[in-house]
Amino acid sequence: MKKLITTVAGLGLLVNVASADVASDQKAFINHFKTILPNVEFADYTNGVYAVDQDSREQFEEILDGIPPYEEAVEKGGKEYLKFGLNKCTSLKNPAVARIKHPYFDEATQQVVTLESAIKKCYQQQTGKKLGSKKGKIVRISAWISDQAAGQKVNVKVESIGARVAYEKGKTFFYAKRGQLNMSCADCHVYNAGKKARADILSPALGHTTHIPMYRAKWSGMGTLHRRYGGCLKNMRAKPLKAQSEAFRNMEFFHQAMSNGLEITADRYRK
Amino acid sequence: MKKLLLTTMAVFALTVQAGSSSSVHNWNNGYSNSFKSAIKAAETGYKANLAVNMAWRDTRKMITEAKKLHKAGKNVAAIALANKAHKQTVNATAQTALTESAGPRF
Repeated sequence: MKKLITTVAGLGLLVNVASADVASDQKAFINHFKTILPNVEFADYTNGVYAVDQDSREQFEEILDGIPPYEEAVEKGGKEYLKFGLNKCTSLKNPAVARIKHPYFDEATQQVVTLESAIKKCYQQQTGKKLGSKKGKIVRISAWISDQAAGQKVNVKVESIGARVAYEKGKTFFYAKRGQLNMSCADCHVYNAGKKARADILSPALGHTTHIPMYRAKWSGMGTLHRRYGGCLKNMRAKPLKAQSEAFRNMEFFHQAMSNGLEITADRYRK
Repeated sequence: MKKLLLTTMAVFALTVQAGSSSSVHNWNNGYSNSFKSAIKAAETGYKANLAVNMAWRDTRKMITEAKKLHKAGKNVAAIALANKAHKQTVNATAQTALTESAGPRF
């Protein structure tokens, strides 16, 4: 009995430590941004690069004042959500809840489940067909689901030992240098956020995941976060991994956790 | 005088050996003078990089291009490109070793 109590207490302690570590990671992360971008309010990081550069922000607001180029696609995503019976899957039944719940660590499979991976799974259950991971239907549906949670806050929970391991793997991926250019995600989006890389201003990683999936002018369309991860890796001359691969899902787990407390936004236009 | 002669000969012998060994494949610096060993080294390295998600973007293309050059009889260019691809895999492996200590610098 004593052994059981000790084990349970030990596990409880480990879980507490895991949560505390994520909180302290995020605190250090936010403090770093406070240091390099002292004029940006925490809540404004949902606006990405537009929180940093006034000229870009004016252009962004003009686009939002008109009809944003993604509006039609997001509406279509809502119709597709019903058409393909995604409302019949427990994980997506309440879209606003689904957006807030994902990504989470599934104890049964010992894997991180992202919103897009849940959509893919449900789509296959309902239609018997496979769904892509980077653009098209999955993005429209995911964007519509995310829109239903606009105004709510990102709240990723890292509570178990398995979750902590996945989080740490994601964190390592984020900070590790890779590719011929020997650069990490953090090199651009943490240490040099707000600075220019050629003609573009590097967006801060804090708040990145509040406006996904995003519309990018460069793509002339929408794409998932994992599509963007792949693009960044290509730019670093590293071989991109598959969207929804375990490594990308782990990184998303870490990446989203760093934005805990920031509002999810439906303003998903980016350059 | 005998000692001096012996020393000189020993130094000469070692220099010649070092010179000749640099023309055979060396796994550490990514250089080989035979296409077969160069391409094998590049492919082995690339496979290892892929397994740990640390492969570089252009290595596969370089390997494919080197094979095409070899097929076209352009052996010197094929070996040079295969060696270049192998060098990329060596650097990617070195990068992989550093991921273990990756973390924030603040």
